[in-house]
Amino acid sequence: MTDTPLLSVENLSVRFEIKRGGWGKKSYLYAVDDVSFQVPKGQTLGIVGESGSGKTTAALAVARLVPAHQGVARLGEDDILSKEGEDLRRMRRRVQFIFQDPYSSLNPRKRVADIVREPLDSLSDKSEAEKKKIVDDLFEAVGLRPEQQRLFPHQFSGGQRQRIGIARALATQPELIICDEAVSALDVAVQAQILNLLRRLQAQFGLTYLFISHDLGVVQHMCDSIAVMYMGKIVEQADRLSLFNNPQHPYTRALLSAVPRVDHPGQPSRNRVLIPGDPPDPNNLPPGCRFASRCPIAKPDCSQREPLPQSIGTTHSAACHYVGTDALDAIGMAD
Amino acid sequence: MTDITPDKQTPRAESPLREAWGMFLRNHAAVAALVVLVLICFTAVLGPWLYPTDPFEMVWAPFSPPGDNGFLLGTDYLGRDLLAMIINGARVSLLIGLAAALVSIFIGVTVGALAGFYRGWVEEVLMRITEFFQVLPTLLFSMVLVALFGASLPMITFAIGVVSWTAVARITRAEFLRIRELEFVMASRASGVPNAKLMFGVILPNALPPIIVQSALMVGSAILFEAGLSFLGLTDPNVVSWGQIIGSNRQYILDASYTVTLPGLAIFITVLAISLVGDGLNDALNPKLRQR
Repeated sequence: MTDTPLLSVENLSVRFEIKRGGWGKKSYLYAVDDVSFQVPKGQTLGIVGESGSGKTTAALAVARLVPAHQGVARLGEDDILSKEGEDLRRMRRRVQFIFQDPYSSLNPRKRVADIVREPLDSLSDKSEAEKKKIVDDLFEAVGLRPEQQRLFPHQFSGGQRQRIGIARALATQPELIICDEAVSALDVAVQAQILNLLRRLQAQFGLTYLFISHDLGVVQHMCDSIAVMYMGKIVEQADRLSLFNNPQHPYTRALLSAVPRVDHPGQPSRNRVLIPGDPPDPNNLPPGCRFASRCPIAKPDCSQREPLPQSIGTTHSAACHYVGTDALDAIGMAD
Repeated sequence: MTDITPDKQTPRAESPLREAWGMFLRNHAAVAALVVLVLICFTAVLGPWLYPTDPFEMVWAPFSPPGDNGFLLGTDYLGRDLLAMIINGARVSLLIGLAAALVSIFIGVTVGALAGFYRGWVEEVLMRITEFFQVLPTLLFSMVLVALFGASLPMITFAIGVVSWTAVARITRAEFLRIRELEFVMASRASGVPNAKLMFGVILPNALPPIIVQSALMVGSAILFEAGLSFLGLTDPNVVSWGQIIGSNRQYILDASYTVTLPGLAIFITVLAISLVGDGLNDALNPKLRQR
């Protein structure tokens, strides 16, 4: 990728304190552990992973909604994680968030026009007339009618509410929008509407998206490149085509093979990669590869040695000891 | 694909509070209680003009039974007009009830909001203080306050408020703990809303329903509390209150029981009306009951 990255995250870690007993030692749960990724300007990076993989926490840390423990996140040239006070407010103007649940992400006691205007009220010093104009334009941009501005959130459907959330995220003309499972609470027809709206807005305003999802179909539709997370680590990162056509990490292969598909008669049926068991206890992680306990090709030393990301081509890397070896053939390709 | 299907018409912009009011109107007991309460307040405010007898003046011989000699509720042991006393007492009882409830809401909401919003050591310290006040024997503590600092109306109000804020603090904290994790609070933070506005402009309005219900009930219990204190003589001797009427006539309960039961009835009706209104508010503001 030749473009300079708009968002560049290096070695990001987020940990939460866990209390044990009254005077016990503090212990920490690393929800995001040493994660690095880049999003070029105007593009979309998808982060996929199962529940509890840390994808949302990573996004919240980048938006400064959860404190990061270590690492660097840069927006253009500016360091996001060290900003405070006025600088932080200026940064928030450039990074906005679209939330997962349109039913809880809008303040039920406010009229939707005020909800969309909230970022303008706290982050900009525009005049009332300018703010009104911006809100009017945003309502039009997301396909809501002007007379709906006076209504309250509970008078809208899920898809309409998500449009309001999108309008709010656009209010300060941000460069980066983080979509945290932005469509997963919606039904399929509405999902398609919202995804198309997001793509149209991306083209219209030159937006950069960090797109968090567990739905590979949605990610394939939306993203230019994709990072796969498992237990707080990125296990594989690639542009869309190579990730879907040439997945290298056993976990990615398992994920891709789990996407339901209509089997055509005559075609050989796919062999699904099964990963038995549950993810390891995040309070007590194994020393080596975190996927070792469920990996179909794990060897004894997998649970001792931690795999580092290995490059496969310029835009593709996977954190597995067996990248590019025969061992991977045992679990076959996704198709 | 991005077009929404146009509705026939835009629904009216009904605020959640307006909707709750409609819900409240469907609860007949609560509406009746509200009417009674409004009448009592009306009496307290306008009564002394409509019935201008001085409650401290001896107008007749003692213990004139209700209805006789032109006194609707009779006279007490000093020959004072009981109706005038109850009408004037309504002022003090309601005033202290409301003011004490306001004091405890103010303290309770502040403590609960700070504890629930900031968590950490702030919460630890504030909740230990709350627990300290919770385990104090409330009547004894307020008696000590009033006895030490004098039985003036502001002091009595403060004494009642200061012993009854703990419930509000705990409810407020619980609501804050719940609401601060909701996504719209996260969204407001991402929008750069400062902490003070986040607490009192975003979270508090959403935490209000249980606080409103608790406050309504607290007005009732503050009236009872004041009655208890003034029954024990800890009251401003220059004003009449219901508890004080009962307290000063208590020796004659066998000879002239109406001097005790009538002001008691006034307390009973007022507190019952407040409880019923509080109950109605609870049903109207609690979204889970709305579906029934």
